[in-house]
Amino acid sequence: MPKSKPDTRFFPWLWGQLTSIRLTVFLLLILAVVAVVGTVAFPGIYYQAWFLLPLGLLALNLLACLVEGLPQAVKKAASPYTVEKALTLPERGRFRWPGEAEAVTLAEEALRRELGRPHRKIIDEKEVFFYDRGRWRPLGPYIVHLGLVLILAGGVVGKFWGIEGRVLLQPELPESSIKLDNKKTMPLAFQVRLERFQVLYYEDGSGTPKEFRSDLTFLQDGEEKERVICRVNDPVTFGGYTFYQSSYGVMPSGPVQLKVSRGNKQQVLELFLRRWVRLPESDGQFMAVRVEANLQGHGPAVQLAYRSGSGHPQVFWLLQKHPEWAEPHGAFRLTMAPLNLQYYSVLQVKQDPGVWWVYAGFILLLVGMYLAFFRPSQRWAVVLQRGKGGRWDGRLLGASPRGKESFALHTERLLARLQGGAS
Amino acid sequence: MLSTVYGGLMLLYLAVGLLFLAAGLWASPSLNRWARVLFGAGLATHTAGLLGRWWESYHLALGHTPLTHFSEKLRLVILQAPMSNFYESLVFFAWCLPFLAILTFRRHLRDYLGTVVALAACLLLAYASLGGVDSRIKPLMPALKSNWLLFHVVTCFLGYAAFTLGCGVALIYLFQERRPRPSLQPLPELDRLIYQATIIGFLLLTLGILTGAVWAETSWGRYWSWDPKETWSLITWLVYATLLHARLVKGWQGRRIAWLAVLGFAAVLFTYFGVSFLLPGLHSYLT
Repeated sequence: MPKSKPDTRFFPWLWGQLTSIRLTVFLLLILAVVAVVGTVAFPGIYYQAWFLLPLGLLALNLLACLVEGLPQAVKKAASPYTVEKALTLPERGRFRWPGEAEAVTLAEEALRRELGRPHRKIIDEKEVFFYDRGRWRPLGPYIVHLGLVLILAGGVVGKFWGIEGRVLLQPELPESSIKLDNKKTMPLAFQVRLERFQVLYYEDGSGTPKEFRSDLTFLQDGEEKERVICRVNDPVTFGGYTFYQSSYGVMPSGPVQLKVSRGNKQQVLELFLRRWVRLPESDGQFMAVRVEANLQGHGPAVQLAYRSGSGHPQVFWLLQKHPEWAEPHGAFRLTMAPLNLQYYSVLQVKQDPGVWWVYAGFILLLVGMYLAFFRPSQRWAVVLQRGKGGRWDGRLLGASPRGKESFALHTERLLARLQGGAS
Repeated sequence: MLSTVYGGLMLLYLAVGLLFLAAGLWASPSLNRWARVLFGAGLATHTAGLLGRWWESYHLALGHTPLTHFSEKLRLVILQAPMSNFYESLVFFAWCLPFLAILTFRRHLRDYLGTVVALAACLLLAYASLGGVDSRIKPLMPALKSNWLLFHVVTCFLGYAAFTLGCGVALIYLFQERRPRPSLQPLPELDRLIYQATIIGFLLLTLGILTGAVWAETSWGRYWSWDPKETWSLITWLVYATLLHARLVKGWQGRRIAWLAVLGFAAVLFTYFGVSFLLPGLHSYLT
């Protein structure tokens, strides 16, 4: 397509913009700025249009650049290094050998020692040895960008086809559904049962936890299928879902027995977590909000809420050892029966078909970067010709547009080998 | 014991820095040679110090959980690499600088460039020894017990070190451009060095981010959670990606690339120090 004047039609213009480096750099900077804003002030910004829009545009930009440049790069990488191309390279040095020298062996040997086995061609009575490396370099940037596209695609796949939720397990109670992040419940085709949860500590008295572990059993149709241990950094997989140890806590193993004394009258209330219970013969209601195994070093405690009528609830702690510290209402005294506490365990549950896309993207990213940055394309040729009196006149040719440093080093050493070759 | 070693090492790096500086000012090859020998000795001592702490940390851990199988012991060795808190990360960062400089920039490690590298290592050790950083060896918390810890930390900090070198060269470039000194590296060579340091750092930072992502996926089931450290490493990555595009596609060179390398290093500094102290998140054990 001749490019005599800038194209003013819409689609070519759009394509030109989409494949432009200006757009890439602009989007990279926008994303960086939005990300900075996100870490400082708006943590949720990464899921909003502010971030997703430039990210989507960047994905389009990457794809457009791939479509635009990849075929050419493949063609370039696939076209072999020929003797004709070799002879057009700029000269890097000369050397001379006596006529009786084993020129072919010497030249081949020098190239092989410094670089690798060269090709050999005779053309116009010239012996030409040529060698290239880094032929795949032109593909490097495209492989990097393909990797990035795969990573972004994997993110989208995970978002739309992945499942992410959590499950709270109490000992001995099998669970057959998980709570999704959008608050919905999703049934599983199997049950998971917590046998027990443990926190193990280091024995140095520092109180540093050593291990959080949930002993789990997976069941299907009431039949035990697998017993496993789930730890932090050590997830387990069953039925296509992966379970990660996420957090834990304590809860009463039965109802909290609350004794309420009014004057000389005593009543016992059985409280379950997060449920209002009416105090008989009154309009007062109690709720157990949560329990602690050891509240600030004072032993077991339950956090209670009390409301009278439709009034605003009061929230306070009732300690097993110091019930007198709780002062909800002048009218009655509260005590509680010894708390039986047990651990519960919270597991993160996940199924993400996008992870493999992301991992494939990681591999492409690294391979592409290696090719692009560390395998610069370099070409050399050694040309031998009979000169005056039958002696050998040699020339070293070579070029490397992007790997100047290592090219210069190799060329210097190669020339030293060639110049010293016949002695 | 080890803290005395690091105190001495800090002074040694300071002396190396001053020697390189003198070598640059008086254009003296023999001072450069001496500085390089001392720098090598510093790196050797530093390496020994790291290995010593690794050994100590491994034996403390072995005291908590006695092991018999070789494979279990090997895993414990990997887990107990001395890179699990802020102090250890500072010492390791300081080690990465001379290591990477000697590995990749050996032929250019002289004069002001030598000064910059040695003084950066000295500053990091000074912060570790004198900055009130807790230097005790602590048992490893469950979240850090992963084989990925070693790969993640090593790649990240080698990447940081490469960017530090890049920034150092960029500063020398900007300085050289204003007041050229014929005895120092010419501008095109410095420009090439900035690019070299940047691509090494970029590959290592990429590896660091990817190993972090794989680790996060295996421990929490999320390869990316927009934790501040993650986000800032991405920001740093974007800045350097911009630099590379500007250079490779747009053909930028010289001063503008040097300024971008300085900007990128500012992002590195914030990723390492700023995030740890200002923005809480998954990496908060670093503080």
